[in-house]
Amino acid sequence: MMDVLSSLDITFFLLTALGALVGIIFGAIPGMTATMAVAVCLPLTYALGLEHGLALLLGLYVGGISGGMVPAVLLNIPGTPSSITTTFDGYPMAQRGEGERALRICIVASLVGGLISAVVLFWFAPMLAEFSIKFSYVEKFLIILLALSVIASMSSNMLVGLFSGAIGIWLSLIGTYSLSDGGNGKTRLMFDFMEPYLFEGFSLLPVLIGIFGISTVLIEAERGISGGLKGTNVEVSKEKRFSLSVFKGGITNLVRSSFIGTFVGMLPGVGGSAASVLAYTQEKNLSRDSSQMGKGAPQGLIASESSNNALTGGALIPLLSLGIPGDSTTAVLIGAFTLQGIQVGPLFIPENQDTWYVMMAALVFANFVMFFLMFYAIKHIAKVVLVPKYILFPIIVMMCVIGAYAINYGIMFDVWTLLIFGIIGYIIQKIGLEVAPLIIGFILGGSAEVYFVKSLESFGTYSIFFTKSPIAVVLWGLIAASIALSAFIGFKSRKRGMRNVS
Amino acid sequence: MKTSRLTFGLVGSAFMASLALAPIAAAADGPLRGNVRVVIGSTSTGGDTYQNASIVVDALSKKLDLNMKVDAVGFSSAYRALDRDPRGNTLMIFHDQSYLGHLYGVEGYKDPFTNYTVGPTIAINPGNAYLVPKDSPYQSLDDIIKAAGEGKTIRVAIQPGGVSEIGYTALKNAIRIEHPGAEDNLVAVNTGSQSDKNQLLFDDQADLINGSVQANEQYTRLPESDQKAMRFIWLTATSETLQQAPENGLGQTDRATLLEYAEPNVKVTMGGDKNFAFDKEFFFLYNKKMNPAIIKQIDDTLEEIYAEGAIQKVQKKSFFIPDFKPSSKAQSHLKEKADRYETIIESINK
Amino acid sequence: MESGTTSPLSVSIDFQTSHLFFPHIINWTIGLLFVLVLVFRVVPFLKKVKRGERALPFIGESMDGFRFVGTLVLLVAYFYLMSVVGDYFPYTGYGFLFTSIGFLFLMSLLYMHTRTKRKIIVAGINALLAPALAWVVFAKLFYITLP
Repeated sequence: MMDVLSSLDITFFLLTALGALVGIIFGAIPGMTATMAVAVCLPLTYALGLEHGLALLLGLYVGGISGGMVPAVLLNIPGTPSSITTTFDGYPMAQRGEGERALRICIVASLVGGLISAVVLFWFAPMLAEFSIKFSYVEKFLIILLALSVIASMSSNMLVGLFSGAIGIWLSLIGTYSLSDGGNGKTRLMFDFMEPYLFEGFSLLPVLIGIFGISTVLIEAERGISGGLKGTNVEVSKEKRFSLSVFKGGITNLVRSSFIGTFVGMLPGVGGSAASVLAYTQEKNLSRDSSQMGKGAPQGLIASESSNNALTGGALIPLLSLGIPGDSTTAVLIGAFTLQGIQVGPLFIPENQDTWYVMMAALVFANFVMFFLMFYAIKHIAKVVLVPKYILFPIIVMMCVIGAYAINYGIMFDVWTLLIFGIIGYIIQKIGLEVAPLIIGFILGGSAEVYFVKSLESFGTYSIFFTKSPIAVVLWGLIAASIALSAFIGFKSRKRGMRNVS
Repeated sequence: MKTSRLTFGLVGSAFMASLALAPIAAAADGPLRGNVRVVIGSTSTGGDTYQNASIVVDALSKKLDLNMKVDAVGFSSAYRALDRDPRGNTLMIFHDQSYLGHLYGVEGYKDPFTNYTVGPTIAINPGNAYLVPKDSPYQSLDDIIKAAGEGKTIRVAIQPGGVSEIGYTALKNAIRIEHPGAEDNLVAVNTGSQSDKNQLLFDDQADLINGSVQANEQYTRLPESDQKAMRFIWLTATSETLQQAPENGLGQTDRATLLEYAEPNVKVTMGGDKNFAFDKEFFFLYNKKMNPAIIKQIDDTLEEIYAEGAIQKVQKKSFFIPDFKPSSKAQSHLKEKADRYETIIESINK
Repeated sequence: MESGTTSPLSVSIDFQTSHLFFPHIINWTIGLLFVLVLVFRVVPFLKKVKRGERALPFIGESMDGFRFVGTLVLLVAYFYLMSVVGDYFPYTGYGFLFTSIGFLFLMSLLYMHTRTKRKIIVAGINALLAPALAWVVFAKLFYITLP
């Protein structure tokens, strides 16, 4: 224990804070992600030593995940894939001139999510790791299916939403059926001449910022680029100011979403973005009044941001107690351990008690730094919307280019993907398809395929999805409830719509 | 207006300063000039290819006084970047997967020996391993070969099409030789990541899995009652290579224990008295049209670096075995290795 | 495991063609949904268009053609020239730096409604400063490969 205290020196705290700050900046730039922030700083850890290196990297991780909320709310571009659901309610709020308030809600939710997951990590990591290995292909497929069921509840027209979602899945399947996912490495859904470029398919991040960022620029260009970004009144009326009372009645949502985030983070291979989507679905289904969700409701922000920050603790659970990364960022984090010759595996925590406590300290401290940095800086950050569009848009495009090019360590085709999906995004909005279901289909499509096909390969029957385990049955219950509820909500709102017309 | 002129001046000077910060490529006097990018065949920055590449590239960049950077772009993009640049600003580091992928006929893998110039080898990862559950009835690889010969189905979790499959192929070949016709009892369960392979073992969907000393050592130290407990049954590395590992081995499994799971203690016959072994070697790949002087420059510089002896310590710390062979030696060595494996793969596919 | 082979739910997937299994399902799903969308959405919509209640997308809308096409042209030129210029200075990021300066300036000009001297100077400063800053931070400080 003394060793732990001696590693918690000034340098430790400074590095964590620096990490959080740099992470926030990376996260806030469209196209730059937490994963990239950790990857570019990884070589530094060699010079810093394990404890100090981890302090920096965990700061980057927490900051990077949080920073994604900024462009999501202000510009409608998710800064990181996991903040996609933040755009659904954040941007409508920003358009009403409540950008600052929306961001403050997100920050508080992020802090709570981060801390809850840290506590869960600290007390229950080995136990939860034990639980997570009960999830085989079948259960993981059902989790994905549950997340996909959000498509039904969040589209304004269910049929169009499902159609858009299916197109999203289709787009995600282009490329090889990846060997590293257990596929046979063969390409499909494309012509031979595309193979040099599309071998690995479209990457998520360029698709995301293309469809949200570039298509917005195109649509604005078509309308002739009007002056400011929106109503330009960042100064808001008194009752629209942020106060903690927003969270009144939202505690259940906050805690539930944090646990969902932690839980999804813990399942290797399910992917971080599924966490916020799942939390968002559950809030939509379970809350008393979800009619405003998608139109600028704080509850949507709370669900999205608390769950995506809860990912951090969750994804560390399998890393530290099974040696298996829970998401793409922790996959890079593994490098920090191996560089120092430290093994991660089921015995990591018992054998490296000191490192473990240091990591926990860094994680908790990083969350607080993130909170204070953002909570007090947000006033100034929110003013970004006052920058005239003829300055702002070119900068956004440039940052998107850097992000797209750098995400896979320097691939030019990813930059072209931006343009391709910018145009696709423009077209689908024109012909009335829905963007959000399409992108969720794209995010989840790849893993849905792997787990679906692998389940059938090993069991040889469709009935396995129902009979595999009690967990599978519970998940089916949730899926059924989710679909039934969204059908019910859709029916209700249609009836209300009819009444309004008549 | 005054302020804008001031900012203009500031910006201008900042801009000039930033350009001046850029390294002047002419500083280096060898044939390798400018900034050099080393692409690798893996997309992971936490994996062994990235680690080995960055150890060597770090040393090279210091010695040559050049900016060098490792980028984990994956094999398909790496080949494309290499194809486009005969100047020597793009180099590649990959491992045996480059030719194994081609031998297994995986889409996208071209024959590295005819399409590229094979450069020097740099290191070996001796960790490629096969594991069984701790309570498995199979105590050794011999048990498995015998059981397959007696008609028992044995499911092996591997990632198809390369390094992870080669051990499985060799085992199948050995069963074919010792118990002709019984090789079909060894079946592959094709899967991806290490976590998926482990999961198949936990779920009792596989009897044997491919793994590595680095990733699985801690699992072998869990008590047998634990569902997650595993046992090494085979390390594919040559004992010659393993001999060079640190005496403490990895974690709490020392070198002597590791050697028990490798040849010649474990026998996987390749016919006659030849025994199968596989060292996962990392090496450079160059554009075919690259200036031969660069090949020589890198060979010579690596020669110096390895002669100094510091790099070996770094490699061994991460459980890699230093393995420097200059280009010409590496080419014949790897070609010979590839030919050997080709015969095994072909004999299985017949 | 194979006991229930006669069950209608049983399925056997050949690994060699397993990459097509899921895409087939999705293709059929898309086809089916497309027909439904056609019947329930597109046909009613076209009827409304006929009655003059709604306008067709693309054709029936007013648009700022100059800015829209200009944006597309600039984007294509930017992306294309970036790698061309970058190829002359391998892995220094100059390709990104030089083309970004031009792109930012031109795009700013394109989007301005009134081109006052002051606005143009601001845009010019921005076009120099923003890419230079991005280049210094990402290419030099963090060693991120840029075109």
